Amino acid sequence: MEVPPRPQPPTLLLPLDRPMMPDLLHDHTQLDDLFSPEDDDFFVGSDESSDLLDCNSSVLNMSICSQDSFIELKEQSDEVQRKSEEEKSQEIQAQRQNLALQELLESERNYLRMLQLSSGFIRENLLKIQPPLVNVDCLFEHLPEVVSVTSRLLDSVDQDQLQPRDPNFLQNFCNAFLSLSSDMEMAYKEYLSNYNQVTTWEVNCKQKEALWDQVVKVLKSSAPELKASSLSFFLVMPVQRIARYPLLLQTILKHTDPSHPAYALLEKTAHTSVNINCRINEYKRIREFREVANKYKKTETLSIKDMINRLNTHSIFKKTARLSQQIKHETGIVPKLVDEEFDALEGFFYLLEKCILELLENVETYLSHLQAFLSYKTEEFDLYMDAQREAVCYKEITTALRQWILPTFEKRLRALIHKPLCALRDLLVGPRNLIRKRLDKLLDYELIEAKSNLSYEEQAAANTYKTMNTLLLTELPRFNTVSLQLIWRLLGTFSCLHRDLASDMTQLFQTFATQLPHSGMSSSAFWDWAEAAVMEGMRKLQDLCQTVEEALSAPVSMPVHPCWALRYHQLCQKHPQERIFEATCGVVGSRDLDLSLIKGELVAVVSERDSKGDRRRWLVDAGGKRGYAPASKLRQYQAPPAEGPPPPSPQPNRADTKLEGRHLSKSLDRRPSPLSLSPLSPSASPSSPVIPVKPRAPPLSPAMPIFQVVAAYPFTARGHREVSLGAGEPVRVLEPHDKKGNPEWSLVQTQGGQSGYVPSNYLTTVPQMSYLRPYP
Amino acid sequence: MMIVSFLSHRLEDQTKKLHKDMKKSTEADLAMSKAAVKISTDLLSNPLCEQDQAFLESMTALDTAMKRMDAFNQEKVNQIQKTVIDPLKKYSGIFPSLNMAVKRREQALQDYKRLQAKVEKYEDKEKTGPIMVKLHQAREELRPVREDFEAKNKQLLDEMPKFYHSRIDYFQPSFEALIRAQVAYFTEMYNIFNDLTEQIDQAGLTDEQREKETEAKLNELRALSIVADD
Repeated sequence: MEVPPRPQPPTLLLPLDRPMMPDLLHDHTQLDDLFSPEDDDFFVGSDESSDLLDCNSSVLNMSICSQDSFIELKEQSDEVQRKSEEEKSQEIQAQRQNLALQELLESERNYLRMLQLSSGFIRENLLKIQPPLVNVDCLFEHLPEVVSVTSRLLDSVDQDQLQPRDPNFLQNFCNAFLSLSSDMEMAYKEYLSNYNQVTTWEVNCKQKEALWDQVVKVLKSSAPELKASSLSFFLVMPVQRIARYPLLLQTILKHTDPSHPAYALLEKTAHTSVNINCRINEYKRIREFREVANKYKKTETLSIKDMINRLNTHSIFKKTARLSQQIKHETGIVPKLVDEEFDALEGFFYLLEKCILELLENVETYLSHLQAFLSYKTEEFDLYMDAQREAVCYKEITTALRQWILPTFEKRLRALIHKPLCALRDLLVGPRNLIRKRLDKLLDYELIEAKSNLSYEEQAAANTYKTMNTLLLTELPRFNTVSLQLIWRLLGTFSCLHRDLASDMTQLFQTFATQLPHSGMSSSAFWDWAEAAVMEGMRKLQDLCQTVEEALSAPVSMPVHPCWALRYHQLCQKHPQERIFEATCGVVGSRDLDLSLIKGELVAVVSERDSKGDRRRWLVDAGGKRGYAPASKLRQYQAPPAEGPPPPSPQPNRADTKLEGRHLSKSLDRRPSPLSLSPLSPSASPSSPVIPVKPRAPPLSPAMPIFQVVAAYPFTARGHREVSLGAGEPVRVLEPHDKKGNPEWSLVQTQGGQSGYVPSNYLTTVPQMSYLRPYP
Repeated sequence: MMIVSFLSHRLEDQTKKLHKDMKKSTEADLAMSKAAVKISTDLLSNPLCEQDQAFLESMTALDTAMKRMDAFNQEKVNQIQKTVIDPLKKYSGIFPSLNMAVKRREQALQDYKRLQAKVEKYEDKEKTGPIMVKLHQAREELRPVREDFEAKNKQLLDEMPKFYHSRIDYFQPSFEALIRAQVAYFTEMYNIFNDLTEQIDQAGLTDEQREKETEAKLNELRALSIVADD
């Protein structure tokens, strides 16, 4: 704190009788000179001492007589001399004490007078000045308390109406002082903490000459003898006074005999006055620190507009200067002001910050996974095995875990660890900002450090840096230590929470221990058993699965629809069997290359995707025509297999293989009923019978069944070009169309050798059967 | 048949749900353990630990404990995977085949009914020649279909109840294994953290005491001038 240079105190000394009285306030060592003989006439002694002296000399005179008694007398006289000296010194001491006490009292009275003058006359008149002075009243704000304390002290002294010489006087004074000491501390504390306002005000005021002149006029008129030239002349007095009490009291103490009844009390008073000063200083310092700290420790959230508003030449200059200083550091042009102690603290702080932030993040991750775990309630299932012991146990255990054991754990974790960590993280803001700001101020400081004559602002900047530095150096270690301790504690709690969780669970398990059948088994034996049992279970399941699939996916053996027999034949010649597919329902082609298919139509799949890679459109061969058909409408056509047991296929089947044999013998007995003679188009023959047959292995080629065309119905020729057929009569197709190319009539030759035309739809293809003589 | 099918559906849903929940909860469990390990690893890797020997020892102990717990957790999860989650999956996997079988039986039934109706239709008509032929044909068609259906039906009626009842025996080892795995894990957890707590924590504090102590420390920090007070 900047204290203005002390003005010469007015001479508050007593006008003393003796002009050669040394200045007690400034030079105590002079008292020791009192014993020098030159100051004989200083001795304000009683007549006793001079009597002693006379005695001495007369004794001396007397001693001339005898040699023997001379020494004795000498000794006696020495003793007497000593005694007289002692008494003298005592007297001096008492004198001095008295002086000091009086000094104190007088100065106190004077001081009070000045105070009253300041708070009364000066204040009023300053307020009267036009134009009104800014903020002048708050300078006097804390003065009244000081006045009151001082006047109370003096009142209690005056009350007793004792003389200073009275030993009780000292006692009373000390008591008064001690009883007022706390009030004194309070009053002066506030006053001193706010004192720097006075200086600032004065500096500002001096710049306005006219006003300042008026102020000086007021001051001079208040106490002309003092020749005061500034307001601080008056207002600094409490500052000086409180520091003076210890000095004054110690002077009195020095001159008080330890055997004095009030000695101990006096000592105590002196100590108290010192303590008051210490505490006031401490308070001032902390207040200062807090002011500086408060200014910088909050993170300001400024909008860009605010930040732009803040820019002015001064701030730009300031920041540029800092930046350039920093660059100079980095490039080595200018040496950095390195403070190793601070750097160590700063380093520790940043590590601490990292630790706290990481820990908080990790704890939050942990909690989120915990919540996820709680949300998947594996105890909420019902496999309809209510009575089953293990399932019941498992359910109960897991319910307990999820309903209360883990929630308790979570709650404690949040309250005891997460919340404090969040609070700690929030506390990091202040120091972080201050450290950063300190660096800025340091850069400023370095720039002006070398200068000898600092302006007011520069002085202020230097002081700010120093204050901040001191503040951080004092408080950061504490911050660092306490934070670390806190974290340590939290981790201990973390461990404890886990232990409690585990203990809850193991207690829970106890209740179920006896219910489980294999709980007696050792760990390895149990796991062997468990794995084996599980394997066994899965294997059985696999068998079941296979059985079901085998039994129920019996092969499909679909007979060839007569319409498509030829088609089938054609396709089989060009494509492998497994590529033959059947349309499950009618398909209408919508796009360019799409085919339209009839339900049941046979096609061969050429490619399972179209040119664009679409797997839902297949390129198929429909007996000459090629095009695209939707894959979903195609089903694999499983021709009645050539031999042996049919291969398994996932198609729904129509007949079991073993039953087919019986049909064969029956099929020949059937005699299809005569139908209307109007030829039906080959594509529409819904009532054509399906003949489920199972071919025997044809002699020619096992893969390709040989077909025999037979007449499905009896046909009576109506003209000479036509030929009569009986139902089931095998025929040989000479031409599947008539002379004009009409496919509705076929030229056939019967077994009897006759040939003629018959309606094509009266014909059907059947796979060759061995007991049917193949028509040559 | 309907009842069995219905029960089977419920069982299927429940098994699927249990399988899903088991899988997810196991994943969360693993993630939790890994997060705990990260806490201690990050702490230990911070140079802060080196500042104080006692603190370093505590952090090392914490880290060791966490890593051991993670190892046990992994073991537990492996055991559960083998004895619970895999069997559950397998069990769920049966249902598609079963359902398909039921569908095919249904189809067979439809075919059967259709052909049966056809036969009956012809049987009701006058017995003329053509009708008789048709009737005969129809009967011929019907026979294999009926036999097919009957075979399927029998199969299903045999197998499905067996399957349904098998669940009890099937899952018994799984549940027991689940419990046993957890018992082992939590017993280990108790031992490890009991030792650790003795080493790094103050004994016998209640939660309120802990909170008070923490609050006191925080207040001490807040009292410093360098700390922003909002």
